Amino acid sequence: MTTLRMLAVQTRMNFIWYFWRDGEMIFWSLAIPLFFLFVFSYALGYGSTKQTSTFLVPGLIGAQVLSSGFWGVGAQLATFREQKVLRRIYLTPLPPWVFFASLVLYRMTLLAVQAILLVAAGRFVFGVHVIGNPAAVVFILLLGAATFVALGSVIGAVVKTAESANNVASVLTVPLAFLSDAYIPLDRFPPQVAGALRLLPSTQFIDAFRGIAMHGIPLAVFSGWILALGCWTVAATVISARYFRWV
Amino acid sequence: MEAAIDVVDLRKRYGDVVAVAGISFDVQRGTIFGLLGRNGAGKTTTLESCIGLIKPTSGSVRVLGLDPSKRGDLARLRRRFGVQLQATSLPEKAKVRELLEVYAAYYGVKSDVEASAQRVGLEGKLDRFVGKMSGGEKQRLGLALALQHDPEVIFLDEPSAGMDAYGRRVLWAEIDRLRDSGKTVVLTTHYIEEAERLCDEICVVQRGKVIARDTPTALIERFGGGASVTFSARGFRLEAPLSGAGVWTHDGDRWTVVTDREPGLLLAEIVTYANASGSVIDALDLHRPGLEDAFLAITGETIEEPADEEPAA
Repeated sequence: MTTLRMLAVQTRMNFIWYFWRDGEMIFWSLAIPLFFLFVFSYALGYGSTKQTSTFLVPGLIGAQVLSSGFWGVGAQLATFREQKVLRRIYLTPLPPWVFFASLVLYRMTLLAVQAILLVAAGRFVFGVHVIGNPAAVVFILLLGAATFVALGSVIGAVVKTAESANNVASVLTVPLAFLSDAYIPLDRFPPQVAGALRLLPSTQFIDAFRGIAMHGIPLAVFSGWILALGCWTVAATVISARYFRWV
Repeated sequence: MEAAIDVVDLRKRYGDVVAVAGISFDVQRGTIFGLLGRNGAGKTTTLESCIGLIKPTSGSVRVLGLDPSKRGDLARLRRRFGVQLQATSLPEKAKVRELLEVYAAYYGVKSDVEASAQRVGLEGKLDRFVGKMSGGEKQRLGLALALQHDPEVIFLDEPSAGMDAYGRRVLWAEIDRLRDSGKTVVLTTHYIEEAERLCDEICVVQRGKVIARDTPTALIERFGGGASVTFSARGFRLEAPLSGAGVWTHDGDRWTVVTDREPGLLLAEIVTYANASGSVIDALDLHRPGLEDAFLAITGETIEEPADEEPAA
């Protein structure tokens, strides 16, 4: 009970301290994805504007999943460590996992807000509908979030300084968003390149998410990729738990 | 009764750098204990070994009978100690009120935010953002966060660093209050005045070792040396019996005598003698040995490191 209360208090405070009172953060996390949706929907011709938007809504949500994990959790942990925030927390009875969970919960809440905004904009501006089974959609989103939070935590665990952690996060998030079927359809790449890119967990997650959410494809069709994402999650969790340092 | 803290032959090496080279001490419950030394002497490393932030290379540390380098023991200790460190930071966009509430939640205690803020002179600043506070205010907030859960042992690392006169007064009053309520306090400092004013016991630390340990009074008595009287007097000639009062030195008309006698009485004799012999006193000064003199005698260096000298223009 106390632990749950700690988790709730800390999550709420993360939201207030690191989001609500940070104008830059609000802008980057809410305005930029919408800006991309509008600009790309009109500018990129993947068929009609509606077709383009149908491609982009899950793509942009997927890209936010990557950035939540790599940047929002991974690089943020390295920053907290460097700023000695973790050190102070370590000396209190707050269990370290509660602090970690509160950071993840905060980012997941923000991710939900981002997803709702993108889906709403897609629906009301471009007439795009999410037709997938809600449970399946939520499942694949949560699995993707778990995978990239785990992979992000590896950055937080093995990269020493906040600056390099932020660089690693950016270097992973930005190119992957372009190479993982998020912004640009894979069929625009030469077949061999596309084939290689389809091996990336980011591509598998975004493709599965798009298929399930926008095209109503059953979850079971993606079971191979789901298994692969699960393996990435477990492996990354083991590695980050092994190397993570609170102080 | 078992000591609150017991450190035996603590050593910490970082590669080739020896931060602590075998430190032992114990702190009885209810004592205000000071680790006094220059920056880099090993005070912070010692303190951080007591709270589980640093794993000693060798030696043993017990706090309230528990070993802070062990997970389980540290988990139990965290509720029983309060800590203020130099090297921590609190979220810039957090308000004083929020931090007091959040920290109360960490410990599962009820927060009396107003009272906590008042204790450290932050009443009326509850809605101030951490990022907008001065260094001294942040230190005082750090102190409030260390004390909310009423810990048995309090570790303070350079608690007055960056504080102005007001902050220091607040801090000292708070430590007096902790002493009155029987708490054990371990603090590091490189302010002689603070150590002398606050501590029941002082460990002088130099290059990773304890080189003296006692009450401030005893340290001054043992190491402080004699008191001295310094004066400038025109036409002063040193004669018996005054010449036997201590060790005399002079530079022109400026005389100094270091004495084991009560310096006030000696000063009176000097004035009487000067008046009687027709010499005129221009300046007069009495110096009783303090902890600073003792520190100098013990360590062979002043506590303030000599500033790098500016190249002559």
